[in-house]
Amino acid sequence: MKRLVIDTELCTGHARCVTLAPELFTDDESGYGHVIGDVEFTDELRSSARRAISACPERAISLVDD
Amino acid sequence: MPETHAVRLEDAPMATDRAAGWAYVRSGGAVFRSGDVWYLTSLESVQFAHRHPEVFSSRAIQDLMGIPVPMIPLSIDPPNHLRFRKVLDPLFAPRVINRMEDSLRSQVRELISAFAGNGSCDAVADLARLYPTQVFLTMFGMPVEHRDMYLGWVETLVGSTGTGPTEEMMVAGMELFGYLGEFIADKRANPADDLLSQIIAIDGDEAWTNDELLGMCFLFTLAGLDTVTGAIGFTLYHLARDPELRQRLIDDPSLIGSAIEEILRLESVAPNTPRITNQDVEVCGVTIPAESIVMLCLGTANYDEARFADAATINIDDPDRGHLAFGGGIHRCLGSHLARRELRLVVEEFHRLIPDYSIAPDVQPEVAWPSGTLHLTALPLVFPRTEV
Repeated sequence: MKRLVIDTELCTGHARCVTLAPELFTDDESGYGHVIGDVEFTDELRSSARRAISACPERAISLVDD
Repeated sequence: MPETHAVRLEDAPMATDRAAGWAYVRSGGAVFRSGDVWYLTSLESVQFAHRHPEVFSSRAIQDLMGIPVPMIPLSIDPPNHLRFRKVLDPLFAPRVINRMEDSLRSQVRELISAFAGNGSCDAVADLARLYPTQVFLTMFGMPVEHRDMYLGWVETLVGSTGTGPTEEMMVAGMELFGYLGEFIADKRANPADDLLSQIIAIDGDEAWTNDELLGMCFLFTLAGLDTVTGAIGFTLYHLARDPELRQRLIDDPSLIGSAIEEILRLESVAPNTPRITNQDVEVCGVTIPAESIVMLCLGTANYDEARFADAATINIDDPDRGHLAFGGGIHRCLGSHLARRELRLVVEEFHRLIPDYSIAPDVQPEVAWPSGTLHLTALPLVFPRTEV
């Protein structure tokens, strides 16, 4: 099982992940992205995840093994 | 000290081709010194500085601009920086911008409607310079009728390409300060439902001083208007030059965001952000001494081939490559969500009224250089007349 993690030390609220993969990320009231916890991580969502990881200017998002 | 490198920022051939201009600056190396200033040009070196604000201090901005109030929050280092961003981030968050979308759209539609029937326009003078200022005044609760007066001050203050402030700039700066000071006093007396009133309403230990409010308004005026003007101009410039790309966006408007990201990457509007080193620091194998002025070159970092394959080309099929057009680290552009929305609405509404347009014959749009911010000085477009 893989899951997405945002390094909160690196995230500064560009919110690209929320724009590009709203099925995987949600924004808080300050505009910072958060991983939506209970998403079943299908192959289809995997490409959205890769897009968000690549688009993050801070390189704050990674896909880790559980 | 290492030898001063021969690359000089002001010599970059920027006027008609930023790719060429930034290639010249990058030729100095990932990290180099030119005159008294150090330049970080690779994406890796810029990102390193973004991640170490304790070493790369933003007080440089205050020192270089010689402005008597703190430029909130851009010139503030941690830990005080957080005090301001935790107030400002929610006021510029995507969900706030979402609520503004209808108003933002009708404003840009009105501006485009004004020239759609003419068959030609200067997209900079008639649209790009007006829209961001109008949006700013509305958001802060300032009278939109003051738009042209406000623009006059801004353009005098940011328009200089020379060294040091001119007499004209001093006057414009004084007038703008006076206007903002009176405006803040009036908002204190008559709060309303606008952004500034919300900040003024904070009381107790967290309350903002008048100088802090003034500095914030001043910063947003200098950093948030001309930059969006630049980005709108560059966006329409690239779309006007590339009918194939434009047609793809008209056929599938969901691609507009991708095109905007690529144009933001290639056309940095605020390409060099200054810092001062608090200590000796090694960056990419080069030691920069304490108390050095360092420019983080976002313009070159966004052309870094190590990150962006075929870096000088707009590629909307692979747009999500994490550019630094809005900076990065704790000083990430506060207005990035607003700017992106304004850009998308400009393209959507322009294409709705004027789907077919090109740059006027025999015109080569140019940027003024050297300059702190980049924007086309004019963008004459021609198109079939549209009855509105």
